[in-house]
Amino acid sequence: MAARDFRDAGHLPNLREGKPPADPDELPRQRNGVTPQMHGRYPDFNVLDEADHWDEVTRRVVLERVERVPEIRYFTTPEAITLGAFLNAVLAQDREPRIPVLKLIDAKLFSGKREGYRYADMPDDGVTFRRVAVGLDAAARQHGSSDFISASDEVKHNVIQAFADGELHGEVWDELPCSKAWSVVMREALSAFYSHPWAWNEIGFGGPAYPRGYARLGVGQRENWEGAPAFERDPVADTHERGVEGT
Amino acid sequence: MSLGHRLRTLARGGLRPPENDSAFLLDVHRRAVPTERMARYDDDYSVDLVIVGAGAGGGTLAQRLARRGWKVVVLEKGPFWDPDEDWVSDEAGSHKLYWTEERVIGGSDPVELGKNNSGHGVGGSMIHYAGYCPRVHPSDFEVRTRDGVGEDWPISYRDLKRHYERLELELPVSGEYWPWGDPHGYPHSPHPVAGGAEIAWEGARKLGIEIKVGPVGITNGSFGNRPHCIYRGFCLQACKVNAKASPLVTHIPDAIEHGAEIRANCMVSRVEIDESSGRVTGVRYFREGQERFQRADAVAVAGYSIETPRLLLNSTSKRFPHGLANGNDQVGRCVMVQGAPQIAGRFPDELRMYKAPPPEISSEQFYETDETRGFARGFSIQTVGPLPIDWARHVLADGHWGPALREYMRDYNHWYTLGALSELLPLPENRVTVASDVTDGNGLPVARMDYSQCENDRKNIAMAKRTIREIFEAAGAQDTLAIDRYAHLVGGCRMGSDPERSVVDSDHRAWEVPNLFIADGSVMPTQGSANPAITIMALASRLAERLTAKRIGSSQAPPRRRPSVRRPQALTRSGGG
Repeated sequence: MAARDFRDAGHLPNLREGKPPADPDELPRQRNGVTPQMHGRYPDFNVLDEADHWDEVTRRVVLERVERVPEIRYFTTPEAITLGAFLNAVLAQDREPRIPVLKLIDAKLFSGKREGYRYADMPDDGVTFRRVAVGLDAAARQHGSSDFISASDEVKHNVIQAFADGELHGEVWDELPCSKAWSVVMREALSAFYSHPWAWNEIGFGGPAYPRGYARLGVGQRENWEGAPAFERDPVADTHERGVEGT
Repeated sequence: MSLGHRLRTLARGGLRPPENDSAFLLDVHRRAVPTERMARYDDDYSVDLVIVGAGAGGGTLAQRLARRGWKVVVLEKGPFWDPDEDWVSDEAGSHKLYWTEERVIGGSDPVELGKNNSGHGVGGSMIHYAGYCPRVHPSDFEVRTRDGVGEDWPISYRDLKRHYERLELELPVSGEYWPWGDPHGYPHSPHPVAGGAEIAWEGARKLGIEIKVGPVGITNGSFGNRPHCIYRGFCLQACKVNAKASPLVTHIPDAIEHGAEIRANCMVSRVEIDESSGRVTGVRYFREGQERFQRADAVAVAGYSIETPRLLLNSTSKRFPHGLANGNDQVGRCVMVQGAPQIAGRFPDELRMYKAPPPEISSEQFYETDETRGFARGFSIQTVGPLPIDWARHVLADGHWGPALREYMRDYNHWYTLGALSELLPLPENRVTVASDVTDGNGLPVARMDYSQCENDRKNIAMAKRTIREIFEAAGAQDTLAIDRYAHLVGGCRMGSDPERSVVDSDHRAWEVPNLFIADGSVMPTQGSANPAITIMALASRLAERLTAKRIGSSQAPPRRRPSVRRPQALTRSGGG
């Protein structure tokens, strides 16, 4: 397990020219609470430990999201299988524990909640998801796979990258504007994933702060209850700096 | 700085606004506005004025006129919010704050609505705005004359100045002395800024870009019965504290105290006219599924830039077959948004940008036209503090998904974000219409908004992004991420001096209907690079002054007959100041 100094930005994708993103498995395993896939950038910070400090209405809304996720009601089983594989890939949820993004999206679409706008050349958001499910299979077939779910990781990656670039064509994609469909499904995917306290644990977000508020606003400061990042200093290499060499 | 400004600085925080007790009428122990004593008017009683919409324009207008003895009813489509019960410190849980019923967007650069710019409920979009309250500049009123673009206003900065000053006391606005536009100070001291703002500020200083703290409509210290800000960072999810200004806490309590009725959960479907006289007789509205009609001597529409045109266009009649006040085909035209690209910068230390209010620092150094840039008008720079969901969309917009997206997200605490507000020009093809084939739950055709940028707009946005990137680079950013987006809405029913090219005159009165007024941001002919909230309030404040001083025609003189009002006798309440 390599030590990381987060003052350095070398782990960020834009700075790694051609290299794959830094491997999150180099981070420690989450020690307190849950993060998606247990990546522990803030290994001892569990935002749910703070739930007693939240106002009651907020606590109810957030805990419900964690504890009471309804089963799939909006999507059909084939749609759910395809979209589930797609969401796992675009959110890099390659193993448990996973935030149940598909179920959260399904619940929202089932309830009829929408965002207050629809592109003139696009169907309803729920229909967009259904069309995307069909379109992903179509795109996978163009790569020689029988459908999206059984495609290799490489084909899945290429299909998704083309989706993100607005470059899917044929069948569904001749009627469904690709870039707008990407923006609709990703908006919902990211809203579901980053509404979940497990994701807040992973990114070190302090979460709801009413009525307590925040007091330490300065550079490098955190509240006494906020989480420290892992490996701010290397416990071995900086022994000289800390004056503990040879002990 | 004038002597007057020095004296005001000495008295900072201790000045009580004249003729507005809202902050003192709130309860000490709960956040909800006391409504026990609110007047209730019968539908068939012809009130002096019905206002459609309880946001920045409608809320301010109601308070001013109620103070002058007008019988006012405000019909609001959304709920009468109780901050304790209705609002949460949570992004996804704040969905109900926004206008989320169907609307259609088109054009080559479609504008996302909903959470981005459209509120509902008492307080309007100011419930979820960041809190920035800058004035527009004097130049904004004459951009056609000065810069050959957009449209001149039929009024000048001088007409709004004292309304700005009064509103800055009422909200109240905190900030440093403001050197741009018409230089002025603020009644509350600037808020402390978070670490990220200090770093960005240092970058700007190296480039010779002047930065100031504020101006934000957030109390610095307690104000009446409104507590001080606790820097929890959820301004865009509605202020549970009551520290951030919105009409719900700044004007509605005083309006109620002076006899206005705020009737929530009422969706106005039509403004009715008398076919023979051409005068407005009242409004039809839906309440709990039932259609009703409120009679009124005059109507002020304050539904903002999408719903105001929609209501007028849906109010067809024999006399106005293409929509009320739309004989000249101007309703819905020149609707505007500001280009609001955001750039995030990455720094070695943790900055945790979710703390402190998103509005912290800003610069208006690039606000005015500079011919060397190759485009007209300019932009302002302001802090934005995206919470995790917004930050994820920012990362996505830079082209990252999957493992790369997760990696940037894990790095959240090292980032700080600045945004621009680019003045985009009013274009007649940018228009709100009704999508006749799509209806809402009440069977009313929904709005469609088409939006496309012009070349000047693109150049403006590109330079704004370049400038912010330079600030971050000068500050030592290790990486930057960009997102293109829009903010705010204005225009759509603009005021003007030419009846052929505008919807209302300089007194907000529809050219074609003598007792119909428009009292929201849709009347703005241009927008500057300022967040529009306080300007919309200032316009409504001026309109109220014109109406009560009877400067607008004699037909608007409020009748003085006994109203059929049901109003409980005075109750004892806590927290009266």
